[in-house]
Amino acid sequence: MFKSLGRKWSEKLEFGLFTLPVLICIAVAFYIPFAMTIRYSLLKWNGISKNPKFIGLDNFKQIFMGDANFTNSAWFTVKYAILYIVLVNVLAILLAVILDMKLKSSTWLRTAFFIPYILSLVIVGFIWKFIFMQGFESLGASTGWGIFKLSWLGEPGLAFISIVLVSIWQSIGFYMVIYIAGLQSIPEDLKEAATVDGASPFRRFISITLPLLAPSITISVFMALTNSIKVFDVILSLTGGGPGGTTYSIAFDIYRDTFQNNMFGYGTAKALILFVAVLIVTLIQLTLFKRREVEA
Amino acid sequence: MKTNKAGRIALEIVMVLLSLVFLYPLFLAINNSLKSFGEVMSDVVALPKQLAFDNYSYVWSFINYPRLFLNNTIITVVGLVGIILVSSIAAYKLSRTKSRFSAILYVICIMPMLIPFQSIMLTVLRLSQDLHLNNSTWGLGVLYWGFGAPLAVFIYHGFVKGIPKEIDESATIDGASGFRLFFSVIFPLLKSVTTTIIIIDVMWIWNDFLLPLLMVNGSPSTKTLTLAAYTFVGQYTSDWQYAMTAMVMAVLPSIIVFIFLQKFIVKGVVAGAVKG
Repeated sequence: MFKSLGRKWSEKLEFGLFTLPVLICIAVAFYIPFAMTIRYSLLKWNGISKNPKFIGLDNFKQIFMGDANFTNSAWFTVKYAILYIVLVNVLAILLAVILDMKLKSSTWLRTAFFIPYILSLVIVGFIWKFIFMQGFESLGASTGWGIFKLSWLGEPGLAFISIVLVSIWQSIGFYMVIYIAGLQSIPEDLKEAATVDGASPFRRFISITLPLLAPSITISVFMALTNSIKVFDVILSLTGGGPGGTTYSIAFDIYRDTFQNNMFGYGTAKALILFVAVLIVTLIQLTLFKRREVEA
Repeated sequence: MKTNKAGRIALEIVMVLLSLVFLYPLFLAINNSLKSFGEVMSDVVALPKQLAFDNYSYVWSFINYPRLFLNNTIITVVGLVGIILVSSIAAYKLSRTKSRFSAILYVICIMPMLIPFQSIMLTVLRLSQDLHLNNSTWGLGVLYWGFGAPLAVFIYHGFVKGIPKEIDESATIDGASGFRLFFSVIFPLLKSVTTTIIIIDVMWIWNDFLLPLLMVNGSPSTKTLTLAAYTFVGQYTSDWQYAMTAMVMAVLPSIIVFIFLQKFIVKGVVAGAVKG
């Protein structure tokens, strides 16, 4: 009796010793700041004043009723996310299919397309800023091509495209290797059977490769989505939000309000909205893909 | 068959050319880091007339490169060791204990993967000021323990499920229990996932920008490589040769490590994505 009680207690103690450290770390990194975020979002506060004013949901009202910055940055983020997710996945599948054909240069190609992914996004942004501003000038002069003479960072529409392209350039290698792994897991005999049946390469790709690639597509779209909703670093260094404040993403807008305009309450209210948006999008996507995988 | 072979060769050539164009921006960055200001301004594409390594010595001492490298290393190592220790041991216990309480704790551990960092960045900063973790490379490293834990717990938890319980039991009979059992018997079995976690977390922490910007940007002695490159460009807006030198110096360690450990890195990144 005493022995079993003693064992139970020592088991509980061990459970506590093993799990408490991680719980404390996670609480410090996420849960406590998250609770503080909820509290701050109900305040009007510049971060310096000793007595912030409690204003209830006024911050949220103001954001949804008439904040052009928020609407513009939300719209920018949605456009960016859609374009990025579609392009990066299509191009990555294309590259993966070609690399999976076992070319002699496959190893080199994989390395080449993967390299930008190991670089910091802020630095990638600066390098491309240099290319757009100085490099294109020289390239334009030596080739005479009009494409180099456009103002890639100075005109709103082009600046948007530049941001999408640079993001794709940096991350395509990541999606490519996921798709290559997916392609390699497709049984060889399935493709052979289809070839024997006389299916054209294109037909084989559509009816065999693509459906069997579904798990990789799920992962990649999911990653692309979560990364693109939070886009920040690359914009900061590439355009800094310009020209004329047209390339602010939601994350960048939150950064601007909190750290540049010192609107702590207002900024955190926006941050909370971003959280809810990410949550909803993630849940929708998870249920959608869950359903499809059950069917398959 | 003949056209097929010709097609393959053509494809091969096109792809190699494409990869060269793809990497051309990096080449231009390196190229211009070796030029003088005048050469950069007159023609970006041209090769340097003579290699101007003094850009490197100038930037090296100006940003105090060894110090930055040390800071990056401290932050990454402190962060990584902590993430692996606290996450692996907790995930093991949570996975082995079959109770509702344990299941709830597991969900609490992995839920934060849904919280975007920008949603809590301000309050993380305020809290770390209260805890005196800010303005210190060690403090920043410690903060990463919590940020890295949810994914690590998730990956370890799934992997521990596949380790037969009999291993624990036979070790208990041999007299090992608690921490001894975990570190001498279980932890070595987690080697493959630990490698995966090391790879994704090193790439993340080494290159991270926003958290270091908020936490350690205050003093030159605590800056990271990326932060220093960022500030440096702010100061030298038109001196592109120095800016590119700073960029190349900031990314060179990653590229060198990648060249040597390429196979592991790609494998780890794929494994991390598939499990995460």
